[in-house]
Amino acid sequence: MKKNLLSVFAVMVMILGLVLTASAEEGVTDTEIHIGQWGPQTGPAAPWGAVARGTDAYFKMINAEGGIHGRKLVHHYFDDAYNPAKTLAGVKQLQEDIGMFAYVSGVGTAPGLAVKDYLMERKIPWLGPSAGSRHWIQPPNKYLFNSYPLYLGDAQLLCKYGHETMGFKKFAIAYQNDDYGKQGLEGAQKQLDKYGLKLVEQIPVNVADTDMKPHIMKFKKAEAEAVLLFVGPGHVARLIGTGKAMKFNPQWFSTTTCGDHPLMMAITKGLYAGTISAAFGMMDPGAIGIGNKEDTNNPSLPLLAKYKKEAFDKFAAKEERWGMTFTAGIGYVEPFVEALKRVGRDLTREKVVAEMEKIKNFKGIMGNVSYAPFDPNDPLCRIGQQEVFLVRAEADGTSTILTDWFTTDFIPMEK
Amino acid sequence: MIEFLQMVLSGIAVGSSYALMGLGMVLIYKASEVPNFVQGEMALLPVFIAYMLLSSYGLPYYIAFPVTLIFAFFLGGILEFAVLRRAKEPNVLGLIIITIGMEMLLLGFVSWKFGADQRAMPFPISSYDSIIIGDIFISTLDMLTLVVALFIMLILFLFFRFSKIGVAMKATQQNENAAALMGIKTNQIRMITWGISAAVGSVAGLLIAPVLMEPYMMWDPMLKGFAGAVVGGMTSLPGAVFGAYIVGVVEHLFGGYVSIEFKSVVAFVVIVLVLCFKPSGLFARHYVKKV
Repeated sequence: MKKNLLSVFAVMVMILGLVLTASAEEGVTDTEIHIGQWGPQTGPAAPWGAVARGTDAYFKMINAEGGIHGRKLVHHYFDDAYNPAKTLAGVKQLQEDIGMFAYVSGVGTAPGLAVKDYLMERKIPWLGPSAGSRHWIQPPNKYLFNSYPLYLGDAQLLCKYGHETMGFKKFAIAYQNDDYGKQGLEGAQKQLDKYGLKLVEQIPVNVADTDMKPHIMKFKKAEAEAVLLFVGPGHVARLIGTGKAMKFNPQWFSTTTCGDHPLMMAITKGLYAGTISAAFGMMDPGAIGIGNKEDTNNPSLPLLAKYKKEAFDKFAAKEERWGMTFTAGIGYVEPFVEALKRVGRDLTREKVVAEMEKIKNFKGIMGNVSYAPFDPNDPLCRIGQQEVFLVRAEADGTSTILTDWFTTDFIPMEK
Repeated sequence: MIEFLQMVLSGIAVGSSYALMGLGMVLIYKASEVPNFVQGEMALLPVFIAYMLLSSYGLPYYIAFPVTLIFAFFLGGILEFAVLRRAKEPNVLGLIIITIGMEMLLLGFVSWKFGADQRAMPFPISSYDSIIIGDIFISTLDMLTLVVALFIMLILFLFFRFSKIGVAMKATQQNENAAALMGIKTNQIRMITWGISAAVGSVAGLLIAPVLMEPYMMWDPMLKGFAGAVVGGMTSLPGAVFGAYIVGVVEHLFGGYVSIEFKSVVAFVVIVLVLCFKPSGLFARHYVKKV
C-alpha cells in the first residue's frame, strides 16, 4: 500500500513538473531573461560592431540598477562579420543550445533577412533591427518591431530641405548598390517628382570601390548643385575628398548612417564641415532650438547624459568611443525595455508583443516611437519611428540643428 | 577629349599604387615562386605602426616613416624565415595556403590591436589639394604616388643592375642551385627579397592611408596589384608596373564610358583575356621547358 502511494506521488510530481516546464517561457528563468543579438565585430562592417556593445553596456546598466522585475538581462551577442550565413548559424546555435527569449537590434539588412523567417516561424520576438529597411515592415510580422526610421525618409527630408529652403534644382545621388542605397534613390526620386524635378545623375557605388574620380567626373559633368550620399562613412570621406581635389564643391547631403559628426570630421580631416545629414535622435531639436549647436560628446539630452555616465563610463571597454553608433545600440532597444517593464513579473512573449503594440509616442533618446495592434495589411503597425530631422556638421565637430522633427511618408515597395 | 585625357591621367595616378603592390608581388614570385597573398597585410601592419608612431608617440614624419619601412623590411624577412622556410617539401598550392594563413593572422592582429574604426593618417601634404593644368587635374597625393612609384622603379633597376646583393638576388631568382654553388647564401637572399617586397608594399600603404585607413584598406590595392602583375607577366618587374597602369587606365575608361557599376571587376576581365591570349603576360618572356 505504502509502495503504491509513493508511486502515485512520484507520478503526480512528474506530471506537475511537466506542466510547469511547459508553461515557462523559453529564455526566461526566475532570475534571468536571455536576449540574443548579432553584429559585425570583425570584417569590413566592424565599425558597426559598436551597436551591440552599446546595447550590452545599456543592459549592464539596467542590471546594476536591479534588473527588470527582479530579473537580470543576460545579453548574448556574437560576431557574424556581416556574413548572413554566419548570422543564421549563430542564431540557430543560440536558440537551440541556450534558448533566447527575444532578439534585439542586429546590424544590417542582409544578415537580418537571413534570420527573419527562422525567428518569425518560431514566434520569437525581434525588436529594433539596426537597419532602416522596408523588409522589416512590409509585409508586417507580428513578432518583428522596427525602430530605425526608414532610409526612404532621409531622402525625402534632404530633398525637401535642399529644394524648398536652399533652392537647389539640380540634385544628384551616389548610392550604395544595395537595399540601403536603393531606398535612398527611390525616396529622392519620389520627393523630387513633387517639384517636377529629376535627378541629374545617379551613380551606384559598390562596397569594394575605392577610387571615386569617375563618380566625381560624372557629377561635375551633370553640373549637380546638391549631391545626396547614400553610402557608408568611408565612401562619404572618399567622395567629398575627391570632390575637393577636383574642385567640385556642391552642397553634400548625407544620411543617418553618417550622422556621427565627430567621427566624420576626423576621417575627412575636416572636409565634412558644412555637410547636412539626417538624424534620428541623440538630440532633441525642440529642446535645443533650430539654429543652435549640439555637442554629442557633451549631450544636452538628460537621458543621453545619464547613459553616458551610467552605461558608457561604467561598462564600456576602455578603448570604446562614445558616438552615434554606440548610442544607437541603446536607442533601438529602449522600446523593448519599456515593454518588459510594463509586462511585469509574469513574462511571456505574447505579453511583450501585446505591450509593444500599446506603445504610443514613446520617447527615449531617439524620436517618437509608436506601434499598433497587428494588421497584416498595415506596415505602419510595426514601423516604430517615422520622424527624422536635419543637422549640419560644423568645423568644431558640433552639429547645428536645421529643422524640427519631420514625419516622413511611407512609400510601399512595388510588387 | 579633355574627359578622355582626364580619365587616362586618373587611371595612371591610381595605377601607381597598384604598381607598387604589383612590384612587391613580383619580387617575391621571382624569389619564392609563390603568388604572395600576404602582400597587402605586410604593408598593413607597418602602416598602422606608422599611425601609432605619429599619433600616440608624436614622432615627426621624417622619423616615423623610415622607422616604418625598416619595420616592414624586418617583418617581411621574419615571415620568410619563420614561416615560409619551415614548410616541408612545399608545393605551390601549399605555399599559397601559407600566405593566405599569414594574411588572416596579420589582418586579425591589426583588427584586434588597432580596432576596426575608420581613420585617416596624418601626412605632410594634403590628400585633397590638386594641381590643375588647363582643364585636367591631378591631386597632389596622386602626383606624389606617381613620382614615388617611378623613383622606386629606378632604385630597383639600379639595385638589381649594379649592387652586389641585387646581382645575387637576380642570380638566385634565375637558378638557385647554380647561385648556391657560386657561394651565394640563397636563404639569406630570399629573406632580403621578402623584406624589400614588404617595404615597397608599405610605401604604397603609406600613400593610401592619408585618404582612409581601416584593416581592409590593402585588400583592393593588393588584388589590383596582383592583376597588374599577371597582366604584365609575374616574372617581369617593368611588366608588373605597366600591367598595373593598364589596369588603372582600363578601369577608368570603362567606368567613364561603359559602366561605373562594373568598374571594379574589369581588372579581372583583363586578367582573363590576357591569360587566354598570352598566358605568360604581356611583358614576360615565354618560358619553354625543353624535354
